[in-house]
Amino acid sequence: MKRREFLKSLAATGVAASVGGALPRSASARKKIDLGEIKSVKIDVLTETSWFDNDNLKKHMLDYGGAMTNQYSIPWDWDNAGGYAALLTVTTLEGKKRKFLLDSGWNNDWMDYIWEMNNIPAMLKSGEIEFMVLSHWHLDHYWGIESTLKHNPNITLYAPKTHYPEDMQLLKGAHLTAKNKEGQDIHVCKNDHPHTGKLVLTDPDGDKGDGIYRLMPGVATRMFDVPILLRVRGENVLYFNVKDKGIVTVTGCCHPGVLSLFSYARKNFKGYQPYGCYGGLHITLFETWDPKFDDIIKGVKAFKIQKLACNHCTGWIWAEKAAAAGVPVVKGTNKYKSYKRQSSVATASNAFLTNGDSVVF
Amino acid sequence: MDNGFFSHSYPIGGRGVMNELMDSDKKFNYLFGLINLVVIFCIVWLLWYVFMNPNAVMKLYTPMYGFSLVVAFITAIVLIHQVADDYPFAKGGSGGSGLFQRGILLTIVAFILMLFLVYVFFWNFIGKFGIAYFSPQSIIASGGIGAEIFVARENASTAIVYYCTAFLWIALFWTVGFKNWPWQDASRGVRAASKLFTILFFVSIVYAVMFHPHVCSLFYPAQVKAGVDPWWADFIGTGSAFFSLGLVLCSLFWIIVSEFLWEGYPWKLMDKNDEGTFIKGLVTFCVTLVLGAITLYVLLQIMNIFWDEAFMGGQYTDGPDFRCIHAAEISGFFVLAAFILKNYFNNYPNVGGLWLRAVLRTLIAIAGGMLFYGFYYSPAANFFLSKVPGFAQPADTSLVWTILFLSVIMVQVDFFEGWPLRQNVVSAKNAKAVSGQTAEEMG
Repeated sequence: MKRREFLKSLAATGVAASVGGALPRSASARKKIDLGEIKSVKIDVLTETSWFDNDNLKKHMLDYGGAMTNQYSIPWDWDNAGGYAALLTVTTLEGKKRKFLLDSGWNNDWMDYIWEMNNIPAMLKSGEIEFMVLSHWHLDHYWGIESTLKHNPNITLYAPKTHYPEDMQLLKGAHLTAKNKEGQDIHVCKNDHPHTGKLVLTDPDGDKGDGIYRLMPGVATRMFDVPILLRVRGENVLYFNVKDKGIVTVTGCCHPGVLSLFSYARKNFKGYQPYGCYGGLHITLFETWDPKFDDIIKGVKAFKIQKLACNHCTGWIWAEKAAAAGVPVVKGTNKYKSYKRQSSVATASNAFLTNGDSVVF
Repeated sequence: MDNGFFSHSYPIGGRGVMNELMDSDKKFNYLFGLINLVVIFCIVWLLWYVFMNPNAVMKLYTPMYGFSLVVAFITAIVLIHQVADDYPFAKGGSGGSGLFQRGILLTIVAFILMLFLVYVFFWNFIGKFGIAYFSPQSIIASGGIGAEIFVARENASTAIVYYCTAFLWIALFWTVGFKNWPWQDASRGVRAASKLFTILFFVSIVYAVMFHPHVCSLFYPAQVKAGVDPWWADFIGTGSAFFSLGLVLCSLFWIIVSEFLWEGYPWKLMDKNDEGTFIKGLVTFCVTLVLGAITLYVLLQIMNIFWDEAFMGGQYTDGPDFRCIHAAEISGFFVLAAFILKNYFNNYPNVGGLWLRAVLRTLIAIAGGMLFYGFYYSPAANFFLSKVPGFAQPADTSLVWTILFLSVIMVQVDFFEGWPLRQNVVSAKNAKAVSGQTAEEMG
């Protein structure tokens, strides 16, 4: 270990000093972090259907430059837009219930509909929802921010520091458009309620230089500075330390990779035990396949994750294949069928925890 | 015989020869070489902006679609110049007023050949009448999950990238190892056709074994009757053929370095009448493959120092698949630096014994490669290439930019014979002394 740390620091310092920018950082040995503990965490799936038709979304990406292009320059089909958001209820060791939001979806109309169904406006206004964590700046997690801010513009918001100018424009109030092939301006997102609360821009250093932001005892968020599709960078990941059970990760899209999250926890958190995960896991999001997705199934089993609740960009194929391979996938219900719209790729397997479902760790 | 970027202008041994090399250093205009390089960089920047930049004009960098076009273009260049020896066009090397027109003609032919390879040969012949996954339309027509134009085009493009990679490896190795053996006495046309079909035979074997299993796994369910499970998965930690890409690029590095920077040695010791032999080819292939495997291993170990060990199922820098393609990308930067040193800086330095020159040039190429590495992952590249900062972005690989850069260099060196920067390292008299042929005999 000592020789490796010496070489790491030598090499990384030299390279970083000469070039700067996003270069591999020296993973210097850290003192393990005591996260604290909670009794449990309940996750209500407010909406995981970021879009309803995969082919529609992919066609827009194809027509306007592919996966590397700027998301704000694509005139997305508003009618295909939904959003991703979850309500997290933490039960502390003292038995107190504390709530916060993860993400605010995409289409304002859809998000207003979802919010009304789940009594979110009242909880925002009363302060029962204490703060919001924005996982990352992708359109389906962020562009519906107005639906949250209209009920509490003063809410504390944790968001990755690696934003682009349009992200801040929207947060401060804006109407943004993109040009279609005919040169017409098409509405892509809007917010008429500027954020006036505390904005915590998260970076990989954390609030005390140890890599995490402490949200409450037993709950933390860490920003993984990874380059993502559609000109986005960085994702906040939530960690919960459930007493006598272990670490639970909660993600919007899990772009860094679910096993990387557990690897990070294993190296940095005191008393680490793998327990579970919830959220989008960004694997077969377009219902395709690649050998590395089989690798992830093998890896999940090797990491001994005991409860895997997934949805959104995980991909139904992966969830079904993982369940068939013996991964402990938490099954959802058919409650999503009572919503006014459903995803075109939902199957009868219930391998996803989807709209209206919940899970307790 | 002048093989463009594979030309050897270095006589063998002797103090008189050494003085000749040192004189070449003095005569070579390094400033002009630097200016030429800057101009080439600007051309590459413009081409990237027009064709690849995800926020500019054609936005072909999706990434695999643009990748397939760039690889097909460099394949076309290699096919025309290295394999076919410019047949049926007049051979180069004579300079003269027709040089520019010849360069334009060959560039256009290479461009058309690229379009033919992708849109006709793969998309509408092989993919339509043979192996469906080479054609986006065939993938869509077969139906099933994920069979829509975006993913279908990416998957077809992946297969094309892999096939062209196998071709580049075998074709470039053949040029170094076998040269024109066993057709050295045949006519240009016979030699071109024979080399092409023989190379394609071996390319098909390489592709089938090293890449096809991965492509079969890009579909759900995996095409298990058509392709075995990736056989490398257990020992490398991923079923992705990025492993094969890493191995091929690392091997190509040694092929290029030995030919450019080591003046063809040590393989040249096995030449017979200045042509390759079976033994030379076999030894070249085996040794560069072993060196490539060692290089891949070393690069993976170095990455472990920076990023800790990768693990199966890991993503981004934790992914074994990323580590393998990153090794390919690093080798690509080294190859680019070797090309630039050879063609724009007179293969500096030209001093001392061969081993000293070889070691110094290799170190310079590696250092140059690391400069390109630093550039690609610096804020400067975010400006020039419109990419998001950071490593292992799933839709990004530096190989696309590197290969585009190499293509432009090869167009200048092979098609335009280095115009306007001509390398005259040896006089015509010495060229005759080396090859034993007159200028007319060289064709």
